[in-house]
Amino acid sequence: MEPLLEYITDLVVTHHRCNVNIIPEHITMLEGAKSRKQHSSKRRSHKSSTLSRREYARLGLNTLPTRQMRYEQVLPLHQLWRSYVREHLGLREGTQVPEVHEPHYEEFSKQLIKLDLHGARLKVIQSKCKTLEGLAGICVMDTKNVLKLLGEDDRLRTVPKSECVFGLSVGNMNFTIFGQHLTIRPAERSVKKIKTYLQPFI
Amino acid sequence: MAKNNKKKMFAQRLVCSRMNFLYQAAHLMAEDSHNTLGAYYGKLCRNVGTKAMMHMAPALKRTLCKRCSLPLIPGVNTSLSVPQAKEQTAAPKTGKKRHRRQRSKKQAGQKTETQPKASTVDEHTLLQMECALCQGRRCFVVDSQRECWLEQPQALVEVLDIEADEGEGQQTQAQAQ
Repeated sequence: MEPLLEYITDLVVTHHRCNVNIIPEHITMLEGAKSRKQHSSKRRSHKSSTLSRREYARLGLNTLPTRQMRYEQVLPLHQLWRSYVREHLGLREGTQVPEVHEPHYEEFSKQLIKLDLHGARLKVIQSKCKTLEGLAGICVMDTKNVLKLLGEDDRLRTVPKSECVFGLSVGNMNFTIFGQHLTIRPAERSVKKIKTYLQPFI
Repeated sequence: MAKNNKKKMFAQRLVCSRMNFLYQAAHLMAEDSHNTLGAYYGKLCRNVGTKAMMHMAPALKRTLCKRCSLPLIPGVNTSLSVPQAKEQTAAPKTGKKRHRRQRSKKQAGQKTETQPKASTVDEHTLLQMECALCQGRRCFVVDSQRECWLEQPQALVEVLDIEADEGEGQQTQAQAQ
């Protein structure tokens, strides 16, 4: 109580201080201690269970270094991806890409869109932006609008999907994929329904 | 009926193989100490599972960190320990002695594994795994006899064989209620 009275009198102009008369009954103290305690315990329990977006970013999990990764380090991932493709598309030796008029064709192309691209060796065949053409590398990260390719010169490059046409080769088969078809979040790719018709941009 | 069932299995097969691939990729990256990529693939594997309503086998699920989804590999990015206070309450005096012996062993052999620990420590002991990336901790009881429901043989209804599958730890399980 004493420091509070002192504080209030200090706010008044110096020559009026002697006239200040404070009745202690008129002062209501708010108890802040309890609410603060409740607050802190809630926070602590929240922290231990999950990682918030901010903490996730602080751990450096959203950023990939541009130059530190080596091309040889992702080669095992590429090998793993190759066996995955065989399993996913049901390829056996001597399997041919179905022609457009074959009934099998539509199903095959739908499966191709649902393919996971992490670890694939991709090449930009055609693009609206001329500098992107001819870039090649192993895909390391796949987000909704962007692919991150690690080139043979150990540099990580970010390539937008919707402006490019990608080339992909599995064994003796070559695929051409329009980037527009790939603009799905990677987690939803295996579930989402795919439009049968999309307008080509070039 | 049989045709319908076959079709359903076929639709799940793609998701299953994709999750399998992502899990392996996450492990590959974590062993190479690319923590960012390891956590990213682990998280993606988990997200694909949630989207497609597929469950990971519990043993596999436990190897991913609960906070940051990094694959936990003891000796590479995970430290194993036995939390002291809890163990003392669980096993009074004999447990303490055992624990001390365990500790000296740990210092001698640097990289500890779960197997020798399970043989010397009694079955109520907790084993704590701490992720080096996010410092998330999880405790599991060291007891080879105790299994969760999905790992018990009664929970298995039928085993579907996929011809193209190499059988890399992922078995398609249909679970009973």
